[in-house]
Amino acid sequence: MAMTGDRPRTRREARQALGPYGRVQQAVNELDDRVGLAKGGRILLDKIFPDHWSFMLGEVALYSFIVLVATGIFLTLYYVPSASPVVYHGPYKPLDGTQMSGAFASTVNLSFSVRTGLIMRQIHHWGADVFVGSIVVHMARIFFTGAFRKPRELNWTIGIILLILAIFNGFIGYSLPDDLISGTGIRIAYSILLSIPFVGSYLAFFLFGGPYPGGIILERFYIIHVLILPLVIIGLIGAHLGLLVRQKHTQFPGRGRTEHNVVGSPLFPQFAAKTTGFMLMVTGVLGVLGGFAQINPIWQFGPYQPPKISYAVQPDWYMGWLDGALRIMPSWQWSGWGHTIPWEVFLPSVIFPGVIFNICLAWPMIERRFTKDYVIHNLLDRPRDRPKRTAAGAAMIALLFTVFGASATDVLANYFHLSLNQVLWFFRIAVILVPIIAGLVTWKICVEMQRVPGAVKRKRAMVVSRTAEGEYVAVPADERPGDQHHELEAEPVPVRIELEPETVGVGGATTATAESGVRRVTR
Amino acid sequence: MSESEEAHVTVDVTGPAGDSTGDGSGSGTGNGYEPPVVTLPAARADDPHLQGSARHPRRVEAIIGLFFLVGIAGVCAFGGAFVVGAGTQVYAATLFVGLFCLGFGLTAWGKYLMPQGPFVEDRHSMASSATERQAMAAALVERTGIVVKRRRVLGGLLVTGLGVFGVVAAFPLIRSLGPQPRSRLFTTNWKKGSLLVDQDGKPVHRTDMQVGGLLTVFPKGKQSTTTAQAVDQAVLLRVQSTKLVTMKGRGDWAPDGFVAYSKVCTHLGCPVGLYEQELELLVCPCHQSMFNVRDGAFPIFGPAPRPLPQLPIYFDSTGFLRARKGFNQPIGPGFWERSTIGDGKAPST
Amino acid sequence: MIRRVTRSRYALPAALMLAVGLGSVLSLASGAQAAPKQTTPTGSYSTQTTNVAGTGHHVVLTAGGTHFVNTKPRVTPHAPACTQDAQRIGYKSPKDSGSPQNSTPTFRKCVNGKVVQYGSPAITYSLPPSSYIAAGHKLFEENCSSCHLSTAQGSAAAPSLHGVGPATVDFWITTGRMPAATPLQIQAEQKPARLTDKQAEEVAAWINSLTPAAPYIPDVHTKGADLTKGATLFALNCAACHTITGAGDALAFGTYSPTLRLATPTQAAEAIRTGPGNMPRFTGNLSDAEVRDVVAYVTEKVQHPENPGGFGLGGVGPVAEGFVALLFGVGGLMLVSFWIGDRSS
Repeated sequence: MAMTGDRPRTRREARQALGPYGRVQQAVNELDDRVGLAKGGRILLDKIFPDHWSFMLGEVALYSFIVLVATGIFLTLYYVPSASPVVYHGPYKPLDGTQMSGAFASTVNLSFSVRTGLIMRQIHHWGADVFVGSIVVHMARIFFTGAFRKPRELNWTIGIILLILAIFNGFIGYSLPDDLISGTGIRIAYSILLSIPFVGSYLAFFLFGGPYPGGIILERFYIIHVLILPLVIIGLIGAHLGLLVRQKHTQFPGRGRTEHNVVGSPLFPQFAAKTTGFMLMVTGVLGVLGGFAQINPIWQFGPYQPPKISYAVQPDWYMGWLDGALRIMPSWQWSGWGHTIPWEVFLPSVIFPGVIFNICLAWPMIERRFTKDYVIHNLLDRPRDRPKRTAAGAAMIALLFTVFGASATDVLANYFHLSLNQVLWFFRIAVILVPIIAGLVTWKICVEMQRVPGAVKRKRAMVVSRTAEGEYVAVPADERPGDQHHELEAEPVPVRIELEPETVGVGGATTATAESGVRRVTR
Repeated sequence: MSESEEAHVTVDVTGPAGDSTGDGSGSGTGNGYEPPVVTLPAARADDPHLQGSARHPRRVEAIIGLFFLVGIAGVCAFGGAFVVGAGTQVYAATLFVGLFCLGFGLTAWGKYLMPQGPFVEDRHSMASSATERQAMAAALVERTGIVVKRRRVLGGLLVTGLGVFGVVAAFPLIRSLGPQPRSRLFTTNWKKGSLLVDQDGKPVHRTDMQVGGLLTVFPKGKQSTTTAQAVDQAVLLRVQSTKLVTMKGRGDWAPDGFVAYSKVCTHLGCPVGLYEQELELLVCPCHQSMFNVRDGAFPIFGPAPRPLPQLPIYFDSTGFLRARKGFNQPIGPGFWERSTIGDGKAPST
Repeated sequence: MIRRVTRSRYALPAALMLAVGLGSVLSLASGAQAAPKQTTPTGSYSTQTTNVAGTGHHVVLTAGGTHFVNTKPRVTPHAPACTQDAQRIGYKSPKDSGSPQNSTPTFRKCVNGKVVQYGSPAITYSLPPSSYIAAGHKLFEENCSSCHLSTAQGSAAAPSLHGVGPATVDFWITTGRMPAATPLQIQAEQKPARLTDKQAEEVAAWINSLTPAAPYIPDVHTKGADLTKGATLFALNCAACHTITGAGDALAFGTYSPTLRLATPTQAAEAIRTGPGNMPRFTGNLSDAEVRDVVAYVTEKVQHPENPGGFGLGGVGPVAEGFVALLFGVGGLMLVSFWIGDRSS
């Protein structure tokens, strides 16, 4: 909207012409003249976020990603992606005078000689662990409540791709220090590429620039880790959030909540305050982990050299399920006509994750095939109301966690004083049985819970007391906090606060919006 | 927000006109439920939906203020800790106290002192009208039709050009990344007469090891480069020669109980450096494949499908160990071009 | 109000999380990081090597400890009887690698034609004095003979001890593995030693008197050790079983590599030189100096790792790290979001 009329002559006049909101009004006007942001911006400020706690899980992921970017920028200033040998001289004596790659030397230097270098490195590593963890938990919430259904299939797909990219980038970042354990991880990655039929050796040679160790892999991993994948991730996060705003949040059913509204708190100021505070808290938690829980002490591991190895090498937890799958795989290979297909590697490390991720990607379609449900859904399911989906999800989680557990066969065997071989066999059987049992049990629990009316309420405890006459009387205990399940029941009926008919005035000075700050959004 | 100056200590929870709880409970959680629409002149300052949820706002304010003060102290301390270089734990503690307290205070502010609502927003269908949809589809189809129908040749040429470029662009993008494998996966630096040396380049003498001994060896001259180490590394063991099961054709490969195998696991290429001398097993530390060193390092447990390639060795005239030839098979994990000739069969013992 | 909220819904999950987390982290860490309390038989390893002027002989002075300094021995390093004995009890090995056959002759001591001490500037290998033999025999009868039989020639339950060398006996007894709690178990467990260090030497003296053999009980002079070299050798030779942090782990068929955090320098050197149980035996390919470097790295850096980054989490790597990340990181933040999203109406 263009300012019309006479130009103000004095400063005072100019201020008065702006209306009661002064400089802010001026800024809004200037911006609105150029990009037209006032209407959309106000709608955005009014965007309603459901209050349920499970809607914060994705934010954990978002904020740990922000922490990752911030600490990652710091790390790039010191890290050198070089495989060429250097001799380390520095404060950590057992490595003083050792020949190592430039990458390892720079990481040790970063940890010991750069002020706050170690805590930055550790926050970055913890951030990665928490990032992937919160993505998984967030995804589980989306899955079990059916939030992926139409119209949100696309956002579900983007989320799965983000998870895959996060796992990849985590593994690559883990490999960059070129320490004894991560070097072994790179060796395994090379061998996995090599196992792909027909093209494996070419893929491995092209990625590594020659036969292992190739000499150029750290440089390539570095640019993938700090530039290529982060850019893709940032772009996809933008799309993820953009779609979220466009499609609006889902919400749990409850009084006053329908398919056609969203009940909760507006973005500004309530949600902004909460979520900004939450971001600070996420950063604080990562900070305390980064300084008090030591992660990946590479100086204890020493530099990587092909003949050196440590026992009990595991990848970070989000790669653990692949490691576990590799461990429990029987030694099957196919060979004939002068060729070999190493199923013992190809199946668990390429096919298995491929199948898992494709099931995840295709799940909205798979489910629709059975339910024939083509309707748009904005209200969430309670997991118990969809026993089959919940059972499928539980079985999937059980499968992945069993395989994940299998990546620690040696640690478990050592800790519980069992035979490693028996533990491995246990997992070979469990990986088939546990998902089936978990699925069936979950299905049964869901079905049973559906039948119990008011199962959301916690039962009041009965206190049985004995009277002086020897008689037993049962008295209900005092009500405890949490006896009611607030998320589903005790929501007060929301009230729409209807605005007076929109009065269009320059600068909006005379409208009621000025005082309330809260309104029903009419579009 | 403007409500903070209101001196409400308690909030009247009975609500304004129109907030009738009985009304809501009757209709249950059905989807068609419409909350009562209340038209308010302007938002009323005593509307319970516009109050914070705190029963004692003053008290909450004080607590939040306290958190903010502690948070400020924390971030200041973080700065101070950095200046004096106080150490990782101090950085972490100050950072945590600072950020967590600030964050907690801000969240509590939003949670307890700001209008609680719940607020409601209408959700409008994103879909366009049927006419608009059809117009879009029509535009796509008909305009494409103009191009394809009338200028078929031009279209074909353009597609051809772009397609060819796509293929050609793949050459520099992919092909220049690395060399072709050719025979590189089949060869090592071991050859006839290679002297076995340890990592320092010291030759290995037959008196260097007792039964139960273990040593990582390389061909002389190749022990110090990572590239050579990655393929050449071999593990030299000494087992009781009476226990050694000599496989067919390998009669003179393991003199006096000295036996050498590739240290690269046939599963995923980890160095198989874990030797249990009583069990006479080489175990891969990565995925616990177990190889019986007495008879040809055939796998007896775990995911590895092939035995470790064996390096035939002999004593030269001065008692030093040398290789008769290279490994009896390509080393390392499986790949497509690998033929399994030479694997042999596991001895049935 | 805050108190009510705290009491209601966060207390239980938070307490559970804390309990589970702390409990498991502590149990992981305690198993791995129990302080080494055993005293070394050699007391201290501040042994000095001095060149006795004029003689050209190096005399090894053992400072402190119960170690058998043979008072006034007839030092006859080059006597033919001594060399013969060295040939008899030793094993073929390059110079200075644990066998008296080729140990630096100036470091060899004989008493009455029998080698009692040999070694190099890095490690001294000593034989318990012959006065220990009688007491050792008695101890053996009481503690060992039920399995190894009274002549120590072994039975179905236990191997023969003839010619194993004093270092082997000393290692098994001082680490508490012998006498075994349960004979015939897959692997004897390390536990608090039942016999004292001196008693272990007495038993070693008696067993050695049956069939004398090297290696003798080593005394590692870790002063001047090269930790860098030790770290490299450790990663190449030891970490494959004991893990790079020395935590130990499960191996094939019920065997396991024990934690190195309890080992004394002498026990570490004994293990390297004798290869107890399933451990490979390192002789000629590791010189005394290299063994010293590894031992110094183990006792200084593996047992007392530098953890500038905080709690070491038991040194078991990503398994414990993932646990902490999921439980405290994701779990803790879930609790926070539980509080944020909770409508306290």
